[in-house]
Amino acid sequence: MFKRVGFRFNADECIGCRACEIACKNENQTPTGIQWRKVTKLAPEIYLSHSCFHCDSPECFRVCPERAFSKRQDGIVQIDENICTGCQLCVTACPYGAPQFNPETKKVSKCQMCYQRQDMDLVPACVEACTTGALKQVDLNTFSDENAVRSLQGFADVTITCPSVVFYPVKPKKRYFLAT
Amino acid sequence: MTDVVSMKDGIYRNTCPRNCFGSCGILSYVKNGRLMKVTGDPKHGFTQGKLCAKGYAYTQFVYNPKRLKYPMLQTPRGSGNWKRISWDEAYSIIADKIIELNHRYGSNLACGYNKFSGNLGILHYAVEGMFNSIGPHTKPVGNPCALTGKLAVNQSFGHSFSSPPEEMAHAKLIVIWGANPAVTNVHQMKYLYEAKRNGAKLIVIDPIFTRTAEKADLYIQIKPGTDLWLAYGVAKLLIKRGNYAESFIRKQTFGWEEYKHFIETKIELEDVSKRTGAPLEAIELLADAYETTKPAVTWSGLGIQRNKHGSGSIGAITSIAIITGNLGIPSGGLYFMHFDVEHFPLHLYNHKGPAHPSIHTSREIDMSNYPKSALALKDPPLKFLWIASRNIITQDQDLKGWKQLFDRLELIVTVDLYLTKTAEESDLVLPAATHFEEDDLHVSYWHYWLSINQKAIPPYWEAKSDLQIARELTRKLNELSPGFSNFPYEKEPLDWIKAELTPDIMRQYSLTSYEDLLAGPHVKEIDSAQQFQTKFWLNPFEESGGLTELEEYAPEKQQPGVYTLLTPQSLLKIHSQYEMLPWLNQEESDNMIEISTKAAEELEIANYTKMEVFNETGSIVGTAKINPSLPNNVVVAAQAGSNPINKLITHCHSQESSTFFYDSTVKIRKWRDGRV
Repeated sequence: MFKRVGFRFNADECIGCRACEIACKNENQTPTGIQWRKVTKLAPEIYLSHSCFHCDSPECFRVCPERAFSKRQDGIVQIDENICTGCQLCVTACPYGAPQFNPETKKVSKCQMCYQRQDMDLVPACVEACTTGALKQVDLNTFSDENAVRSLQGFADVTITCPSVVFYPVKPKKRYFLAT
Repeated sequence: MTDVVSMKDGIYRNTCPRNCFGSCGILSYVKNGRLMKVTGDPKHGFTQGKLCAKGYAYTQFVYNPKRLKYPMLQTPRGSGNWKRISWDEAYSIIADKIIELNHRYGSNLACGYNKFSGNLGILHYAVEGMFNSIGPHTKPVGNPCALTGKLAVNQSFGHSFSSPPEEMAHAKLIVIWGANPAVTNVHQMKYLYEAKRNGAKLIVIDPIFTRTAEKADLYIQIKPGTDLWLAYGVAKLLIKRGNYAESFIRKQTFGWEEYKHFIETKIELEDVSKRTGAPLEAIELLADAYETTKPAVTWSGLGIQRNKHGSGSIGAITSIAIITGNLGIPSGGLYFMHFDVEHFPLHLYNHKGPAHPSIHTSREIDMSNYPKSALALKDPPLKFLWIASRNIITQDQDLKGWKQLFDRLELIVTVDLYLTKTAEESDLVLPAATHFEEDDLHVSYWHYWLSINQKAIPPYWEAKSDLQIARELTRKLNELSPGFSNFPYEKEPLDWIKAELTPDIMRQYSLTSYEDLLAGPHVKEIDSAQQFQTKFWLNPFEESGGLTELEEYAPEKQQPGVYTLLTPQSLLKIHSQYEMLPWLNQEESDNMIEISTKAAEELEIANYTKMEVFNETGSIVGTAKINPSLPNNVVVAAQAGSNPINKLITHCHSQESSTFFYDSTVKIRKWRDGRV
């Protein structure tokens, strides 16, 4: 059976350090402004490291008039920049802001889950860079954990595209703030 | 023009030289003499193959169009009229000035330098070595960052002390006072999480609800500078309940009776609560945690020693770690930072210069009070200043003093990678090499790994290392005036590195030869049990005058409308370093000023509108960002940027301390056009 690669993101352990984001740029040498991976604040005290989620039903794949997208057997969604005409339909369609339009080349590019590394049995550069282990790669065909959840507070609707990602939510905490 | 000798393709070992806890091991991938990418070195036991966001941006740091390419002369100073000159011309200008000053004053005391933490590599002590090599000169001493904490830890332990960071993973309780590792020490976070996964509890105490505080199981916000009160409050509860490690205390501490008496008679919990702003319930929870959970580790952050109560706070916090017995059990520990680099011979730093017939030593001035001390110098005044590994204009305080000093100087030389604000005020700038373009050796001040830094790529244009500059400038001095310097300029970088690896150092780091370091970093062998053989002093110390200070320290001193200015590190910069990297500076505009909701309401300052921060030293215009978790009377601003906040730092100088950056106060108001 083939594996289905996906990300496992532990919101409790993400410190928002953005090493994953810059490690992606270091590995792929993407131009400034082209963010295959990005860390954003999803809600107060919840950071999300997000990239293309290599969805089960990728909208980009569905809307692309040039059929520039393909999905590998392991689940990685790829884009062939040679075919892309820069119409940006995928940019509008993706619920997660993954496809990145480069105004200079007039092409779209996105996270390809470091498939060259994967083919050498290496994890993606972002996963390798995560110092706390908040971001991991898992095989969703075998992954199972009752504590894992499909979505996080503030995350886009997962029912449309079925993104290849599972989450652990933040745990409750006790705080004493100064009186205002 | 690049080096004609091209480097071999391959993977090189580097060490991040920044003033940071990580001192990360880097693997550099080089092709055709170009740095293609970097990764963490998996053989580095602390960083374990990871870098931080800044580290992963190093290709852009090296190949940056804003990097200085060749020596440049600015005439007149500050005009922006820069002219490219050759290295030989630059050395001639500098050497002529040094020699002329020597003839004018009969010594080199008119020559001084200001160097700090821009690159922590041991070979960067070439600057100190270069100045030593010309005999007595004007020498900066002290440490504006960590001296207060260092001395406070020394008072308790008799020496510097900080537990091995990897051991934090085995603690059951982690209490962080005034440190924000989620931003400033990201690799430590994995040990915190490892401990948490094994059931440990994380407690964070900080006036700012930091990213580390967000991750804490228990967060206690206190008023800035009141850590010592909270620590005394915890001690009060522990002593009241009889929950202290009595036999350990009797065997291994000095001053217990006085300490206990002080806590019992001088400390009232209601008063602690009022001074710190922490409710009694929170103080009790903190004391409960210390009481019931072992092993506990206590971490005193640099933040708590950036005010005049810093020394007392560190001592009071250390005392909790001691009386709870956590320094006598495995994986119990105390963290601050260590100064193991001082255990190396530091041949460059300690290089002995030629004797002067009548002046026996260099003239010392305090780094934390540099411009005022320098301006006070007479006979001879300071006339020549060499600035390296340092961006004074954004990072030091007393900028008015600096301006006065600069006006009196006849030659200012800055060695840097970029045209910093300090370089802009200099006569000459010399392009510095990055750590990928030089050889070096590194010891961290946090973890205990020793690592090499290999020259991996040819220099960017005409950039040179501090050591190479020292070698060439001293040669020029001797050409013009034979015997002027005794710098051993024939020595190559590797000679200096190997000389640091004495038999004793080799034994401590389990090295058989220098080549071992090429195969990976080596860790120092630490016998934890051995470390706790010494006796500890409990704070307050009999002779430190702590009690008087305590009585004088009245609560609620702050006037309404006056705000404490806190200027912590940002995630994607270290001080002013990395500012020029587009990858790291894509979003937030600079000069963001964080203010509390209450301050915003009272002064009618809306989110993301222009506002002004000011005090007697000047005014900064920035963009307001309302932070609902900020204490009412605190303003937070990032360091550096286009209009550096340090302009507003006012430091009340005291001897033997680092700079009290967080004692500065400001007023704030809405920005209005035309206001002077």
